[in-house]
Amino acid sequence: MQTNLLSRPTSAKSTSMSDKINHPQLCQWLESVATNRDKVAFTHLFHFFAPKILRIARGKFPNEAQANEVVQDTMSNVWRKAHLFNQDKGAATTWVYTVMRNVTFDMLRKIQGNKEDNLSDDIWPVAEKMSCEDEVFEDHLANENLLDVIEALPQAQQDVVKGFYFREMSQEQLAVHLNLPLGTVKSRLRLALGKLKVQLGEQHD
Amino acid sequence: MINHHPKFELIQAFVNGDLPASLSAGVAIHADMCPVCQQTIAQITEQVAEASFEEEYLDRFIVDDIEALDAVAVIDFDHMIDDIVESSDISVALPKVEKTISFNDKTYTIPTALSNMELGKHAHIGKLTRSRIQLNENEIHTSLLHIQPGGGVPEHTHKGFELTVLLEGSFHDESGEYVKGDFIMLDSSHQHHPISTNGCLCYTVANDALHFTQGINKLLNPIGSFIY
Ligand SMILES: [Zn+2]
Repeated sequence: MQTNLLSRPTSAKSTSMSDKINHPQLCQWLESVATNRDKVAFTHLFHFFAPKILRIARGKFPNEAQANEVVQDTMSNVWRKAHLFNQDKGAATTWVYTVMRNVTFDMLRKIQGNKEDNLSDDIWPVAEKMSCEDEVFEDHLANENLLDVIEALPQAQQDVVKGFYFREMSQEQLAVHLNLPLGTVKSRLRLALGKLKVQLGEQHD
Repeated sequence: MINHHPKFELIQAFVNGDLPASLSAGVAIHADMCPVCQQTIAQITEQVAEASFEEEYLDRFIVDDIEALDAVAVIDFDHMIDDIVESSDISVALPKVEKTISFNDKTYTIPTALSNMELGKHAHIGKLTRSRIQLNENEIHTSLLHIQPGGGVPEHTHKGFELTVLLEGSFHDESGEYVKGDFIMLDSSHQHHPISTNGCLCYTVANDALHFTQGINKLLNPIGSFIY
């Protein structure tokens, strides 16, 4: 179904406020999932989004099982990727829409016999890569030595360094995401940074 | 400066996820280089998302057959929730590693949108080098096309469409000069003869073989399908 979502009459916006989406609430739930792995918040998000995703998916997939799969995959991506949502960069609805559209796109490609190659996240990045942060990000990456050196760290230290620098997660967030005590995150980061300094110093001689 | 942008309808279809991967990637590559389209895409996405998740909107536009409503009730949402939250997996976004490709000793960065696409072997003809992108989209053929300085594609037309996104360098044809980032969508009413004075690298999508139109170049028709 080629729903032309934009054909919505503009007057619809002014109908009643009661059915308007409570954006701050959605954001708060999403943030809570990201930082606290909050199952209650996730359940709220699920009840808000899942029935709508299902109905949209049923318009795109003739098969009921496939429509269900869209719901399942979209919502588990919301659970696993909530920390990639940045409320300064847009509404929660926009982010969940992106996740849903990407799941749908990859699944349609698979079903239509093109390929099972999951290209959607490259075409429509789920993690906002934008102006300021992006430049910092690029700067780091421009230094290929740095990446090589990071890759050479023990896995546990790599996880912490990558989360801290490339995802700009706080040490507290990292502790939750990696399911580690805060102290462990801090000491791993310190260890890793020590090694990086030595290695990069050596390489720059 | 970028002068050629995707039409509004194409951007809409891009946001809706209705375009094939080849064209979606074309729009994404252009938007990466074009702040104007980037903003349009952001706005449309926000609107479409808002509309998608508005209760009343859905009631009005989505086919509300009894079956669909039944299905909503049939899925065991609670079970699905339990299933999902049981997983402690976190998707850690890995830092992007830039991929590059070389044509005639020049190295180019591959656009992010293409980073997981499979590239075919280089094939050469004159000053053109083409690497097919394996998207398996039947009659739609997608490629990276490199033109060495002074090279060009003989005057041609095509039965379907031909999209060119200029990744690096420039070329010109009867209608003017094209620069890095330009999104050039031509249909069968266009006949053109692109020439690149200083060389260029293009991302191309075409849904039919080229058809050479002029004099001796007609002899080239068998290789029309080679280039695009
Ligand atoms: Zn543009």
